[in-house]
Amino acid sequence: MFIDSTLCERCMDCRPLCPVGAIRARKKEVVIVQDECVECGTCFRYNICPNSAIKQLDEIPYPRIVRAHFSDPAMTHESIDVCGRGTEEMKTNDVTHSYTEDQIGFSVELGRPGVGTRLYELEKVVQKATSMGVDFAEDNPVYPLIIDHSTGKLRPEVLNEKVLSAIAEFTVKRSELLSFISELIPFFNNQIETVVTVSLIARCDKNGRVSVFEELERNRIAFYPNGKVNLGLANI
Amino acid sequence: MTHSQNRTGISHDSDNNEIVVLCMVHFKQKAEKAEAIKKMTDIVLSYSPDNIIGRPLGIKDEDIRELSPSFGIITAVFNDKETVVKLLSEIRENNLGISVVLSSLFANVREICHRQNLTEHTFNISLGVFGQTEKLPDDDTLSITTQCGHALVAPALVRKIIRQVKKGDLTSDDGAVLLAKPCVCGIVNHTRTKRIIEHMAGG
Repeated sequence: MFIDSTLCERCMDCRPLCPVGAIRARKKEVVIVQDECVECGTCFRYNICPNSAIKQLDEIPYPRIVRAHFSDPAMTHESIDVCGRGTEEMKTNDVTHSYTEDQIGFSVELGRPGVGTRLYELEKVVQKATSMGVDFAEDNPVYPLIIDHSTGKLRPEVLNEKVLSAIAEFTVKRSELLSFISELIPFFNNQIETVVTVSLIARCDKNGRVSVFEELERNRIAFYPNGKVNLGLANI
Repeated sequence: MTHSQNRTGISHDSDNNEIVVLCMVHFKQKAEKAEAIKKMTDIVLSYSPDNIIGRPLGIKDEDIRELSPSFGIITAVFNDKETVVKLLSEIRENNLGISVVLSSLFANVREICHRQNLTEHTFNISLGVFGQTEKLPDDDTLSITTQCGHALVAPALVRKIIRQVKKGDLTSDDGAVLLAKPCVCGIVNHTRTKRIIEHMAGG
């Protein structure tokens, strides 16, 4: 995104729209700071500028295009043909059966809510999880960025790209749930220089129950009272 | 709504009637389910959701139906369980073969499932936010911004709207519309956002 200074009247009405605060006043111009902009498209779509001074490049070059892939929900990830953050995770688990009763899915989202992240922070998480022996979800846009699955190394040219959020998804054995939580949470708190949202995905038994809730409560691990539930209607 | 499970400000004491409904076609089935997702869109729209995908972009409801195969997904917000129970009943009658996800208090989902004689299939449970949480805005602001799963509602926009409502330049109703606009998935709850604005502007 950029602002055409020949059209901009410097009203600054667009400034509060930017989720990462990349629209700023500089000398006598209003600019979108290119290093901070995550290419989410919000300022453009909001249609706030009466002069249409906010512009979107016709074609964003690589590796900058990665910003849009991870930040603009209107953009479809080419590798997996899914828009949004590019992952279906448990939303279609009644079709894909990606998560089974003997597994727990971890969804580790960096940058959300509203802080953003550089992809080198994502690499830290991917490397940490790789060292713990996890399997990463292949139908996730993070997966094609991994160039070495033995170390979790990402493509070097994307590391400094800033995105609104990126989700590392992986599964662990059901029996390993607590050990992963106890190792990962301190790592996020001490090593990651942005916010990290952590979610679990648990397949129910035939009675619609999961033992995860009781296990979390027993171990005094807090969780939200609200969440998502797939009702399994795709196969009924 | 990848991260609607991370909505904050929802508890058993307040805002407990909000239910986000998501109907999603697995990406490999998009072509074969094109008519099914159109039918699903018709059904969801007939229950008058508080908000629905595309509406914040100014897309008319009749056009949402035609665009739904390319979305591969329909997302909508409701504010009462009774409506969602009826909605699910009609979805089941039509047997469209599309995944349906509810995002709400788990207790609400349990009740709805019970009334529909359904059992839950898969849960998505949030453990919360870790790392540099000092970078987050205050809780009231988060209860608005986290309604957009893609985090497109800026805290600065919330502050601006609250200032305008406080000054009497904007109604809370109009403020809620402006705050819902960045969320292309249409899952910002207009009714709840209006209530939060009134709380923040009055505080």
